[in-house]
Amino acid sequence: MAVTIDVKADILGKNDAVAEELRNLFKEKHVFVLDLMGSPGCGKTTLLEKTMQALKDDINMAVIEGDLFTSKDADRIDRYGVPVVQINTAGGCHLDAPMIKKAIENIDLDKLDLLVIENVGNLVCPAEFDIGEQKRAVVLSITEGDDKPMKYPLMFKLASIVLLNKTDILKFCNFNLDGATEDIKTLNPGVEVLPVSCSLGDGLKPWLDWLREMVRSVK
Amino acid sequence: MCKECGCGETNGNNRLQFIVDGYTDDNAKEVEKALLGLPGVLYVHIHPHEGETTVDYSPKLTKLSAIMKVFDDRGLTANL
Repeated sequence: MAVTIDVKADILGKNDAVAEELRNLFKEKHVFVLDLMGSPGCGKTTLLEKTMQALKDDINMAVIEGDLFTSKDADRIDRYGVPVVQINTAGGCHLDAPMIKKAIENIDLDKLDLLVIENVGNLVCPAEFDIGEQKRAVVLSITEGDDKPMKYPLMFKLASIVLLNKTDILKFCNFNLDGATEDIKTLNPGVEVLPVSCSLGDGLKPWLDWLREMVRSVK
Repeated sequence: MCKECGCGETNGNNRLQFIVDGYTDDNAKEVEKALLGLPGVLYVHIHPHEGETTVDYSPKLTKLSAIMKVFDDRGLTANL
Protein backbone atom coordinates (compact mmCIF):
# COMPACT_ATOMS: atom_id res chain seq x y z
CA MET A 1 0.00 0.00 0.00
CA ALA A 2 1.39 3.38 -1.00
CA VAL A 3 1.90 6.03 1.66
CA THR A 4 2.11 9.69 0.71
CA ILE A 5 4.30 11.95 2.81
CA ASP A 6 4.02 15.70 2.38
CA VAL A 7 7.73 16.51 2.34
CA LYS A 8 7.18 20.15 1.39
CA ALA A 9 5.46 20.93 4.69
CA ASP A 10 8.42 19.50 6.59
CA ILE A 11 10.95 21.52 4.59
CA LEU A 12 9.06 24.75 5.08
CA GLY A 13 8.61 23.99 8.78
CA LYS A 14 12.34 23.41 9.15
CA ASN A 15 13.09 26.57 7.20
CA ASP A 16 10.86 28.65 9.46
CA ALA A 17 12.50 27.22 12.58
CA VAL A 18 15.98 28.15 11.29
CA ALA A 19 14.70 31.58 10.21
CA GLU A 20 13.41 32.26 13.72
CA GLU A 21 16.73 31.16 15.19
CA LEU A 22 18.53 33.58 12.84
CA ARG A 23 16.16 36.43 13.64
CA ASN A 24 16.85 35.98 17.36
CA LEU A 25 20.60 35.95 16.69
CA PHE A 26 20.42 39.13 14.60
CA LYS A 27 18.36 40.81 17.33
CA GLU A 28 20.88 39.81 19.97
CA LYS A 29 23.71 41.21 17.82
CA HIS A 30 21.75 44.42 17.03
CA VAL A 31 22.09 43.88 13.29
CA PHE A 32 19.34 45.04 10.95
CA VAL A 33 18.81 42.43 8.25
CA LEU A 34 17.09 43.26 4.97
CA ASP A 35 15.92 40.79 2.34
CA LEU A 36 16.26 42.61 -1.00
CA MET A 37 14.12 41.08 -3.72
CA GLY A 38 12.97 41.68 -7.28
CA SER A 39 13.17 40.34 -10.82
CA PRO A 40 16.43 39.73 -12.66
CA GLY A 41 17.61 43.06 -14.03
CA CYS A 42 15.33 45.25 -11.93
CA GLY A 43 18.29 47.08 -10.39
CA LYS A 44 18.85 45.39 -7.01
CA THR A 45 22.64 45.40 -7.31
CA THR A 46 22.74 48.94 -8.67
CA LEU A 47 20.61 50.02 -5.69
CA LEU A 48 23.08 48.28 -3.40
CA GLU A 49 26.01 50.03 -5.06
CA LYS A 50 24.41 53.45 -4.54
CA THR A 51 23.49 52.48 -0.98
CA MET A 52 27.05 51.43 -0.18
CA GLN A 53 28.43 54.64 -1.67
CA ALA A 54 26.14 56.67 0.58
CA LEU A 55 26.28 54.69 3.82
CA LYS A 56 29.45 52.66 4.07
CA ASP A 57 31.37 55.35 5.95
CA ASP A 58 28.63 55.74 8.60
CA ILE A 59 27.21 52.22 8.83
CA ASN A 60 29.05 48.91 9.03
CA MET A 61 27.52 46.86 6.25
CA ALA A 62 27.87 43.40 4.80
CA VAL A 63 26.13 41.78 1.88
CA ILE A 64 25.07 38.23 1.10
CA GLU A 65 24.58 37.72 -2.62
CA GLY A 66 22.26 35.02 -3.94
CA ASP A 67 22.88 33.92 -7.49
CA LEU A 68 22.22 30.74 -9.43
CA PHE A 69 25.75 30.19 -10.73
CA THR A 70 27.94 33.28 -11.00
CA SER A 71 29.67 35.75 -8.69
CA LYS A 72 29.05 38.71 -10.99
CA ASP A 73 27.03 40.68 -8.43
CA ALA A 74 29.38 39.82 -5.55
CA ASP A 75 32.29 41.08 -7.66
CA ARG A 76 30.49 44.40 -8.07
CA ILE A 77 29.91 44.65 -4.29
CA ASP A 78 33.52 43.71 -3.52
CA ARG A 79 34.78 46.81 -5.35
CA TYR A 80 33.29 48.97 -2.59
CA GLY A 81 35.28 47.25 0.15
CA VAL A 82 32.12 45.94 1.83
CA PRO A 83 32.33 42.33 3.08
CA VAL A 84 30.37 40.08 0.74
CA VAL A 85 29.51 36.38 0.83
CA GLN A 86 28.35 34.65 -2.32
CA ILE A 87 25.72 31.91 -2.20
CA ASN A 88 25.37 29.95 -5.44
CA THR A 89 22.12 28.05 -5.46
CA ALA A 90 23.16 25.88 -8.44
CA GLY A 91 19.92 26.60 -10.26
CA GLY A 92 17.75 27.02 -7.17
CA CYS A 93 15.30 29.88 -7.54
CA HIS A 94 15.42 31.33 -4.01
CA LEU A 95 17.51 31.56 -0.85
CA ASP A 96 16.38 29.77 2.28
CA ALA A 97 17.21 30.10 5.97
CA PRO A 98 19.73 27.21 6.19
CA MET A 99 21.73 28.83 3.35
CA ILE A 100 21.86 32.10 5.32
CA LYS A 101 22.86 30.25 8.48
CA LYS A 102 25.83 28.78 6.64
CA ALA A 103 26.75 32.08 4.95
CA ILE A 104 26.93 34.05 8.22
CA GLU A 105 29.67 31.72 9.46
CA ASN A 106 31.85 33.93 7.24
CA ILE A 107 30.61 37.25 8.65
CA ASP A 108 31.54 38.89 11.96
CA LEU A 109 28.11 39.97 13.20
CA ASP A 110 29.64 41.77 16.19
CA LYS A 111 31.08 44.35 13.80
CA LEU A 112 27.89 44.88 11.79
CA ASP A 113 25.01 47.35 11.78
CA LEU A 114 23.38 46.27 8.53
CA LEU A 115 23.27 43.02 6.59
CA VAL A 116 21.64 43.14 3.17
CA ILE A 117 20.72 39.82 1.59
CA GLU A 118 20.22 40.19 -2.16
CA ASN A 119 17.93 37.31 -3.03
CA VAL A 120 17.87 35.43 -6.32
CA GLY A 121 16.16 37.48 -9.04
CA ASN A 122 12.60 36.16 -9.04
CA LEU A 123 9.18 37.60 -8.14
CA VAL A 124 7.70 34.27 -7.02
CA CYS A 125 9.71 31.91 -4.79
CA PRO A 126 11.80 34.27 -2.63
CA ALA A 127 8.57 35.67 -1.21
CA GLU A 128 7.64 32.21 0.12
CA PHE A 129 10.77 31.75 2.24
CA ASP A 130 11.48 33.43 5.56
CA ILE A 131 15.27 33.83 5.79
CA GLY A 132 15.39 35.45 9.22
CA GLU A 133 15.17 39.03 7.92
CA GLN A 134 13.55 41.87 9.85
CA LYS A 135 12.20 43.62 6.75
CA ARG A 136 11.77 43.01 3.05
CA ALA A 137 12.44 45.49 0.26
CA VAL A 138 11.25 44.92 -3.29
CA VAL A 139 12.60 46.61 -6.41
CA LEU A 140 10.27 46.73 -9.42
CA SER A 141 11.61 48.35 -12.55
CA ILE A 142 9.21 50.18 -14.78
CA THR A 143 10.37 48.17 -17.79
CA GLU A 144 8.72 45.10 -16.21
CA GLY A 145 5.24 46.60 -16.55
CA ASP A 146 2.74 48.08 -14.13
CA ASP A 147 0.69 44.87 -13.97
CA LYS A 148 3.30 43.01 -11.91
CA PRO A 149 2.10 43.86 -8.37
CA MET A 150 -1.30 42.25 -8.94
CA LYS A 151 0.28 39.32 -10.86
CA TYR A 152 2.81 38.58 -8.09
CA PRO A 153 0.87 39.75 -5.02
CA LEU A 154 2.71 37.88 -2.25
CA MET A 155 5.99 39.63 -3.07
CA PHE A 156 4.39 43.05 -2.66
CA LYS A 157 2.08 42.06 0.19
CA LEU A 158 4.99 41.19 2.48
CA ALA A 159 7.30 44.09 1.60
CA SER A 160 7.96 47.00 3.95
CA ILE A 161 9.23 49.21 1.16
CA VAL A 162 8.95 49.07 -2.65
CA LEU A 163 11.21 50.97 -5.01
CA LEU A 164 9.90 51.67 -8.50
CA ASN A 165 13.16 51.87 -10.39
CA LYS A 166 14.32 53.25 -13.74
CA THR A 167 12.04 56.29 -13.64
CA ASP A 168 14.63 58.05 -15.83
CA ILE A 169 13.22 56.13 -18.79
CA LEU A 170 9.57 56.41 -17.75
CA LYS A 171 8.67 58.49 -20.80
CA PHE A 172 9.78 55.65 -23.08
CA CYS A 173 7.73 53.00 -21.26
CA ASN A 174 4.05 52.33 -21.10
CA PHE A 175 4.06 52.26 -17.30
CA ASN A 176 1.38 53.87 -15.15
CA LEU A 177 3.30 55.00 -12.07
CA ASP A 178 0.20 56.13 -10.16
CA GLY A 179 -1.69 52.96 -11.06
CA ALA A 180 1.15 50.68 -9.97
CA THR A 181 1.52 52.62 -6.71
CA GLU A 182 -2.20 52.31 -6.05
CA ASP A 183 -2.12 48.55 -6.74
CA ILE A 184 0.80 48.07 -4.35
CA LYS A 185 -0.92 50.10 -1.63
CA THR A 186 -4.16 48.22 -2.22
CA LEU A 187 -2.34 44.94 -1.56
CA ASN A 188 -0.32 46.34 1.32
CA PRO A 189 -1.82 49.53 2.76
CA GLY A 190 1.11 50.29 5.07
CA VAL A 191 3.92 49.95 2.53
CA GLU A 192 6.20 52.78 1.41
CA VAL A 193 6.50 53.19 -2.36
CA LEU A 194 9.39 55.22 -3.73
CA PRO A 195 9.96 56.13 -7.40
CA VAL A 196 13.72 56.12 -7.99
CA SER A 197 16.38 55.96 -10.63
CA CYS A 198 19.18 53.89 -9.14
CA SER A 199 21.52 54.43 -12.08
CA LEU A 200 21.22 58.24 -11.74
CA GLY A 201 20.85 58.17 -7.97
CA ASP A 202 17.56 60.10 -8.17
CA GLY A 203 14.99 59.79 -5.39
CA LEU A 204 17.20 57.69 -3.12
CA LYS A 205 17.21 59.99 -0.06
CA PRO A 206 13.98 58.57 1.44
CA TRP A 207 15.38 55.05 0.94
CA LEU A 208 18.64 55.93 2.69
CA ASP A 209 16.75 57.67 5.51
CA TRP A 210 14.53 54.61 5.91
CA LEU A 211 17.57 52.32 6.12
CA ARG A 212 19.27 54.58 8.68
CA GLU A 213 16.07 54.57 10.75
CA MET A 214 15.84 50.76 10.58
CA VAL A 215 19.46 50.41 11.69
CA ARG A 216 18.80 52.80 14.60
CA SER A 217 15.68 50.86 15.58
CA VAL A 218 17.62 47.65 16.36
CA LYS A 219 20.35 49.33 18.46
CA MET B 1 3.39 26.81 -8.46
CA CYS B 2 7.09 27.18 -9.13
CA LYS B 3 8.40 24.41 -11.41
CA GLU B 4 11.86 24.66 -9.84
CA CYS B 5 11.10 24.23 -6.17
CA GLY B 6 7.40 23.43 -5.90
CA CYS B 7 6.82 26.37 -3.59
CA GLY B 8 3.55 28.22 -3.77
CA GLU B 9 1.56 25.13 -4.64
CA THR B 10 -1.28 26.41 -2.51
CA ASN B 11 0.48 29.10 -0.45
CA GLY B 12 -1.56 27.57 2.35
CA ASN B 13 -4.41 29.53 0.81
CA ASN B 14 -8.04 28.72 0.23
CA ARG B 15 -10.07 29.91 -2.72
CA LEU B 16 -13.71 30.70 -2.04
CA GLN B 17 -16.44 31.82 -4.36
CA PHE B 18 -19.30 33.96 -3.09
CA ILE B 19 -22.45 35.11 -4.78
CA VAL B 20 -23.07 38.67 -3.69
CA ASP B 21 -26.32 40.61 -4.06
CA GLY B 22 -26.34 44.37 -4.51
CA TYR B 23 -23.17 45.21 -6.40
CA THR B 24 -22.84 48.42 -8.34
CA ASP B 25 -19.75 49.13 -10.45
CA ASP B 26 -18.53 51.52 -7.77
CA ASN B 27 -19.04 49.40 -4.69
CA ALA B 28 -17.62 46.33 -6.48
CA LYS B 29 -14.33 48.25 -6.93
CA GLU B 30 -14.48 49.31 -3.29
CA VAL B 31 -15.03 45.71 -2.14
CA GLU B 32 -12.17 44.47 -4.33
CA LYS B 33 -9.81 47.03 -2.84
CA ALA B 34 -10.90 46.36 0.74
CA LEU B 35 -10.52 42.59 0.33
CA LEU B 36 -7.07 42.88 -1.27
CA GLY B 37 -5.96 45.02 1.68
CA LEU B 38 -6.66 42.21 4.17
CA PRO B 39 -3.65 40.15 5.32
CA GLY B 40 -3.17 36.99 3.28
CA VAL B 41 -5.64 37.93 0.53
CA LEU B 42 -3.73 37.47 -2.72
CA TYR B 43 -6.41 37.53 -5.37
CA VAL B 44 -9.92 38.90 -5.78
CA HIS B 45 -12.07 38.77 -8.88
CA ILE B 46 -15.57 40.22 -9.05
CA HIS B 47 -18.25 40.00 -11.74
CA PRO B 48 -20.52 42.85 -10.59
CA HIS B 49 -23.51 41.81 -12.71
CA GLU B 50 -23.58 38.16 -11.68
CA GLY B 51 -22.30 38.91 -8.18
CA GLU B 52 -19.69 36.18 -8.56
CA THR B 53 -16.79 37.00 -6.24
CA THR B 54 -13.64 34.86 -5.99
CA VAL B 55 -11.28 35.36 -3.07
CA ASP B 56 -7.94 33.62 -2.58
CA TYR B 57 -6.94 34.02 1.07
CA SER B 58 -4.95 32.52 3.90
CA PRO B 59 -7.20 31.33 6.74
CA LYS B 60 -4.17 31.62 9.03
CA LEU B 61 -3.97 35.34 8.41
CA THR B 62 -7.57 36.38 7.82
CA LYS B 63 -10.73 34.87 9.26
CA LEU B 64 -13.73 34.28 7.07
CA SER B 65 -15.64 36.66 9.35
CA ALA B 66 -13.27 39.50 8.32
CA ILE B 67 -14.09 38.82 4.68
CA MET B 68 -17.82 38.71 5.41
CA LYS B 69 -17.51 42.02 7.27
CA VAL B 70 -16.27 43.72 4.08
CA PHE B 71 -19.58 42.77 2.42
CA ASP B 72 -21.71 43.49 5.51
CA ASP B 73 -20.19 46.96 6.00
CA ARG B 74 -21.46 47.91 2.54
CA GLY B 75 -24.93 46.44 2.98
CA LEU B 76 -24.17 43.52 0.66
CA THR B 77 -25.33 39.96 1.17
CA ALA B 78 -22.77 37.28 0.36
CA ASN B 79 -23.47 33.57 0.13
CA LEU B 80 -20.99 30.77 -0.36
